[in-house]
Amino acid sequence: MKLVDRFTLWYLGINVILIPVCSVITYYNIKHQADNGAIEKLRAINNKVASQVQRGVQPSPYIHGVAIAVIPLSSPLPEKTEEVQQREIEEDPELKQADTQLLLTNHYKINGQHYQLTATDHVLRPQQLRAGLLYSILWKLVLLVFAVGITARLVSKYILASFHHTMSRIQQFSLKNKQKLTLSATNTEEFKELNCFLTRMTDKAIEDYASLKEFTENASHELQTPLSVIRSKLDLLSESEIHGQQAKLIGDMQNAVEKLSRIHRALALLTRLENQEYDKREEVGFGKCMMETLATFRDLIHLKDIQVKSYIQPVKVKMHPALVDILVSNLVSNAIRHNMRGGYIAITLNDEQLEISNTGRPPEVPTQELFRRFKKSNQCNDSIGIGLAIVKQICDSSHFDIQYEYVATHHIIRVKFPTEEPSSKLLQNDALILRENPVVVTGMQ
Amino acid sequence: MKVLLIEDNEELASSIHDFLAREGYICEVSYNITDAQDRLVSFQYDCILLDIMLPDGNGLHLLSFIRKENIQSSILIISAKNSLDDKIMGLDEGADDYLTKPFHLPELHARLKAIYRRKKLNGSNIIIFNEICLNTDTLEATVNDQLLDITRKEFELLLYFVVNKNRVLSRQSIAAHLWGDYTDNLSNFDFVYQHVKNIRKKISAAQGTDYISTVYGLGYKFNTSKQ
Repeated sequence: MKLVDRFTLWYLGINVILIPVCSVITYYNIKHQADNGAIEKLRAINNKVASQVQRGVQPSPYIHGVAIAVIPLSSPLPEKTEEVQQREIEEDPELKQADTQLLLTNHYKINGQHYQLTATDHVLRPQQLRAGLLYSILWKLVLLVFAVGITARLVSKYILASFHHTMSRIQQFSLKNKQKLTLSATNTEEFKELNCFLTRMTDKAIEDYASLKEFTENASHELQTPLSVIRSKLDLLSESEIHGQQAKLIGDMQNAVEKLSRIHRALALLTRLENQEYDKREEVGFGKCMMETLATFRDLIHLKDIQVKSYIQPVKVKMHPALVDILVSNLVSNAIRHNMRGGYIAITLNDEQLEISNTGRPPEVPTQELFRRFKKSNQCNDSIGIGLAIVKQICDSSHFDIQYEYVATHHIIRVKFPTEEPSSKLLQNDALILRENPVVVTGMQ
Repeated sequence: MKVLLIEDNEELASSIHDFLAREGYICEVSYNITDAQDRLVSFQYDCILLDIMLPDGNGLHLLSFIRKENIQSSILIISAKNSLDDKIMGLDEGADDYLTKPFHLPELHARLKAIYRRKKLNGSNIIIFNEICLNTDTLEATVNDQLLDITRKEFELLLYFVVNKNRVLSRQSIAAHLWGDYTDNLSNFDFVYQHVKNIRKKISAAQGTDYISTVYGLGYKFNTSKQ
């Protein structure tokens, strides 16, 4: 429900309760004032009639349309000289309808004689008044609903304009553009605060992102150069006159430098992935990439005497082309590295998922934990344990679902492609042909 | 071969300089773009080794300068920037190859040789060392005119050995040369041992001399003094 609708409903709800209450108050006030006016008038008439009687003039039975009754009394003057009475007449013979009469009785002592003067007048009937009020309530409500409904919308457009503007700017905001959030000025205190907060927050985010990016870039550039120096010096050193023991030491150092360089590159890549530097998406041939990767690793597969069975369909996915390569080569090289001599790898790629299963020693930690950085099963101490973390990050950024299971001596990794994305569907024609003749590569030699 | 090295890190520059000098190359070093431009307009070089992160600007700007001045040198970029975009940009701007830091000196040498072969020797794609003959076009290797049945990787490895004669080649540098970026995932260098073993076996089978000797703890060496 929109903000303006909420305000409108609350406002109308309050009015629906308040308007009848106010009308009751209005009713009693009007009635009271009208009666008071009538009493004043009747009292004046009574006084006039009394003076006429005093002057010995025979008063007429009607003055200003008010009926006058003059009754001489023999009893002494009562303490209360004025008495107000209201009388409901169901059917007035003159008016032919119900009527309310107001009777004002005054007692006078004129020339030693007591008189009772009663003036009778028609007043507003409560029913008429109530009916009038009821109509006015209904009209008020109808008008209110319309007026509030329309004006609230118009006014909210005007008042919330800066809010809507802010919202659209936030939705367009992207850290990577490095463009500061510019919000329109507003006079509303709350929006001022909101805008101020958002500007501060986004500026900080941009700053943090920039410094993180700078750090990653610096780390990769500035660390690679010293590594390069060490490597080149070691290369030169290894060519000088050295003894066996020294050669062993140099060899170990080279190994360490190699590993450092690898870790560093992997971490830099991971950070780039997390910073979403690879969110350019285009259609890339997953199947083609898979075939190429398998060809690249052919020698390794051959060296380890591994049997490969692959059913690869020309699946297309929407993602950064560099990521497909990293994803596939990481998974395939993992399947080879963690395999045993004379082992087995099965690769199935279709429009739904990629499944790579390979033989290997059982994992020593829960398989899901292997997606975390530097988590590795002890099978291969040389591995740095970032490969699967990178794979996971790529899958996350491409909205793929990845699972790792160990079932019946087989490590199975499944990458499920999102089904709703039509781009992940394979090219229908090619698929048909391939389904009939699945590519089977056995023991790629 | 005359090489201009443009690299701001003096340590690395001196390493490369020493390495190339030992190979008999004439190697001059520039530490910034201005100096490099002065040298490029005054002298001729066969190859330029260019770092793109230089104190007085981006080395890629030098590529357009080289194009404008119509300098006919080959260009090999050596950079710590290893993102795909940088590589593509460098190669599009006219560089012949792109090598990311940290690299092994023998790898640099091999690439340098390859560029030189491609550009200067105009199709001279046959490298001969004694009885070994390598055709870089057809990827065929012969020993005593006998064709070896070797895989592509084995060919590349043999070429790497011949290009870096009498140098100690570590297992790491061989892996980096053969597998490039994929070595990131391959920490195990067993396959280098396998490939070397295969080459030795195949050369010996063709009555060739086994020039490859093992350097304990380090790697291998293509020893030309072996008879």
